[in-house]
Amino acid sequence: MDADFRGDADHHDGTSDATPGGYADKRRPGEAVFALLMTIGSAVLLWNAYGISGFEALSSPGSVPMATSAVMLISALVILAKTLRMKTAENESLLKDIIPVVVMIMIVLLIAFGILLTPLGFIPTAALFLIISIKLLARRGWPMTLAVALGSLVVIWLVFRIIFTVLLPSGIVPEGEMIQYFRNIFASGAA
Amino acid sequence: MSVLHDFFTVFLQPQLFLLVGLGTFAGVYVGAIPGLSVTMAVSILISFTFSWDVYPAISLMIGIYMGGVYGGSRTAILLNIPGAPSAIATAMDGYPMAKRGEAGTAIGVTTVMSFFGGLVGIAVLALAAPFVSDFALKFQPRDYMLLAVLGILLVGSLSSGSLIKGIFSGALGIGIGAVGMDPLTFTQRFTFDIPLLTQGISFIAVMIGMFGVSEALLQLHNIDLPAVRQKIDKIVPSFGTVKKHLPLSLQTSTIGVLIGALPGTGGDIAALMAYDHAKRVTKNPERKFGEGAIEGLVAPETANNAAVGGAFIPMMTLGIPGDAVTAIMIGALFIHGLNPGPMLMIDQPHMFWFIVGALVTANFFMLLFGLTGIKLFTKIVEIPRAFLIPLIMLLSIVGAYAVNNSITDVYWMLGFGVFGYFMRHYGYPLGPVILGVILSRLLDDNWRRAIISEREDLGRFFGGIFSSPLSTVLLITVVLIFVSQTPLWTKAKARLFKKEATE
Repeated sequence: MDADFRGDADHHDGTSDATPGGYADKRRPGEAVFALLMTIGSAVLLWNAYGISGFEALSSPGSVPMATSAVMLISALVILAKTLRMKTAENESLLKDIIPVVVMIMIVLLIAFGILLTPLGFIPTAALFLIISIKLLARRGWPMTLAVALGSLVVIWLVFRIIFTVLLPSGIVPEGEMIQYFRNIFASGAA
Repeated sequence: MSVLHDFFTVFLQPQLFLLVGLGTFAGVYVGAIPGLSVTMAVSILISFTFSWDVYPAISLMIGIYMGGVYGGSRTAILLNIPGAPSAIATAMDGYPMAKRGEAGTAIGVTTVMSFFGGLVGIAVLALAAPFVSDFALKFQPRDYMLLAVLGILLVGSLSSGSLIKGIFSGALGIGIGAVGMDPLTFTQRFTFDIPLLTQGISFIAVMIGMFGVSEALLQLHNIDLPAVRQKIDKIVPSFGTVKKHLPLSLQTSTIGVLIGALPGTGGDIAALMAYDHAKRVTKNPERKFGEGAIEGLVAPETANNAAVGGAFIPMMTLGIPGDAVTAIMIGALFIHGLNPGPMLMIDQPHMFWFIVGALVTANFFMLLFGLTGIKLFTKIVEIPRAFLIPLIMLLSIVGAYAVNNSITDVYWMLGFGVFGYFMRHYGYPLGPVILGVILSRLLDDNWRRAIISEREDLGRFFGGIFSSPLSTVLLITVVLIFVSQTPLWTKAKARLFKKEATE
């Protein structure tokens, strides 16, 4: 492998271009800002780690946090310096290659999922999420979208609620009664 | 006798047997579908199998691991898209074979060779692990600390090019692992006086975010990549083909086990090294490497499956993961109240032999599923990503929520998902983060134990290191990895190579 290969090991998306990981000798849009944020973040962590127990003793609870955040800060500074020296990749733009609109929408949808999960309950929230995102991503007709979204939701719910017995917020859906209903079906089937 | 009994646990309990089979089946497809990774699947599964007993949970995960390492080769051959990082080398000769219409042969050879490599790996695990764990009892806390540092460094330096970014990621992981109450003194660390942080950050939320959501977000870039159809005919390879490549496959399996057993290095690196080895030792390949040489398939595929067994050696004996997936497995064992390390081998040898048995079973299932079900396979690989991505995201959310029934974990997971997405874009490897999180506690505890036993004296600490050959070797290795990245080394290397060139 090329020693300067910066790609992520999970690079298996079939695109041989820069996504993900970037180039060895060019700076991607936003990379310098990210490196700067990492540097600031590391500095804050180091300051915080110093506050844990200072230089009291080598075995104090703060020693490893201080050492790690110091390593973070040093490496972040080196990365920042290296990044700033590189030329910007001209064929890329932040909006096209780093965070396209579709990615932003999906992130918003995910956050909305988290916010609605407890009050609304798992089933309605997941149904909304799947319908909106599949409609958005696949751009198929409504029948196909609804069939895939709701069909897979039913399978997921059955598998995880019943086989894996994962507890999910029931919210406005009378989930307990539904499970009892299924149990009754299986019970009468077995009898 | 009890060893045999433990070994056959999987075979004696139909439920476990089926779970291994199911896991392997799922693993083959998860590995094969570009965009789904084994690391992703195993990290999401930990939370779902949380309420299960430890045996069934481990059975399922082992199946997925074994199947997934193999499954990546399918798409590498058919589409030139490695389904998993460990199949990157497979694509180099597999795809040219498929283009010549020999996809069936390529898949057949790959399957049989993966099976062979897997067996070698497991055999070495079964033979070597008990010795390693005996040896590990003599390890001092400082050795554990050095091993943990070494593991994180190796992942950072080998799995992607930029070591400095790997170091940053590893340190970040250790930092994340340290958040919350210090277990020894109950001092708060990195909590910024926020009550939410005193409990620490759930490492499962970190894992699912980094390997589930961030990967899914990244796949949004390739949503319109068309699925490709391929015609496949005869699969089962002839005995002659297998026999001819047996010597090579033994060598590459050995490479695989060794690389796999190094803390922090897994199947992807093993496969690349084996490919390199095959190129050097094969004098007269039927076809050139890169144009469809069977040796180019045999080498990486034996090595990456042999690395599975290898990766379990440090995981089971030292509690130090061999790669990202074993890091997650360690997390799973933690959750089930087990503490991987030399004491696990002594207190609960049945656990070890059970895992060996499950690996063997998974290996046989892999052979079975690898040589059958091609029709189904082509159908599944054609599922549009537009359907898959929302489902992965949904599973990630459910998975993050399920461990503690806590919505906070979902937010952590999403936060790390978005963060990981940017890290991937800018070339920061994620493997070291996970290794750091998992090893944070071990590193911290052992550092403090080591330095307390040396009466807080750094001089005595280093004196201790140099009085033990093992500690010395570990320290030198760690230092060498660092030095190899400084300008000093580059200069020295340039000078050396210049000399060679002029001679």
